[in-house]
Amino acid sequence: MEPGDSTKQARAAAQLRKGVLEYCVLALMRDRPRYGVELLQALEASGALATSQGTVYPLLSRLRRDDLVTTTWQESASGPPRRYYALTDSGRAALEEFTRIWPGFRDAVDAFLTTPPPTTGDLA
Amino acid sequence: MKTSTDPIRDYLRAVEREACALPAERRQELLADLAEHIEVTRAERPDTAIATVLTELGDPRTIAQTALAESVEAGLGPAGAPARSGADAPARRGKVHPLVPLLMLTLSLPFMMIFPDLPGPLIGVLFRITGAVLLCTSVHWTAVQKTTGVLVTAVLPTVVIGAWNLSSSGPAGDTPALLANLAMLALLTGTATWLWRARQA
Repeated sequence: MEPGDSTKQARAAAQLRKGVLEYCVLALMRDRPRYGVELLQALEASGALATSQGTVYPLLSRLRRDDLVTTTWQESASGPPRRYYALTDSGRAALEEFTRIWPGFRDAVDAFLTTPPPTTGDLA
Repeated sequence: MKTSTDPIRDYLRAVEREACALPAERRQELLADLAEHIEVTRAERPDTAIATVLTELGDPRTIAQTALAESVEAGLGPAGAPARSGADAPARRGKVHPLVPLLMLTLSLPFMMIFPDLPGPLIGVLFRITGAVLLCTSVHWTAVQKTTGVLVTAVLPTVVIGAWNLSSSGPAGDTPALLANLAMLALLTGTATWLWRARQA
């Protein structure tokens, strides 16, 4: 934990990730249950949401405690049994709610970040 | 951490050490999740060095801090009370409109004044008790506001009226009683108005 420039640069990404990660994790389970390593691989592949893998487990634990996901053990053809995470009804509802508000949120941020067109042009 | 014959065990011990502020149950769950992750990853990528797997998993302190943060975020601090009670409580409690307890507490007195015969005061007292309970279980006020509200609008009138009835067994006249009741009503109304203004959405 040495505070350096890279830490500072990573802060914006970390803050954003913190807000959206759990909904992305829920979204990964939308179509079928997934096991932990599988979820992490998908996050890794996304690039922007890649995070220190171990930090996703406390998140999954909270989602389970909040009754947004349930877990079941399933045997695997190779290696140990996997703990599969699946959406509960309230998890699905939370995901739908996020899906509903996200476009407006994204567009609002885009609007702030985009240089506004010269609206005073008409007057000049 | 250095001379490791078993890097996995060392890694998990490091997490355990960093996560010592976490409730034991939560800590064991985290360790089990991480151990499972390592095991599954090794089965799926047998050629990957264990050091790489652990590096990808991340810094034990970062993981422990995330777990602590999740534990706090869940609403109830590292004490580890179940998060759901925190999340559900506002939904279950305080659904009653904030005006209901205030009206019940205020109107119990004029009700008793208008119906002084036996069923009247009994119903008035029931109103007062129900109002006090609703006030206490509401989410619209802080603990201090609730205590003040209950003391002034329920306990005080009950005590004063009780004392009045006991002391002046033969009432000197209706006028002093009426004046006292009106003064009490003004106090109740004032307190209810204050609570109404001080309520939180």
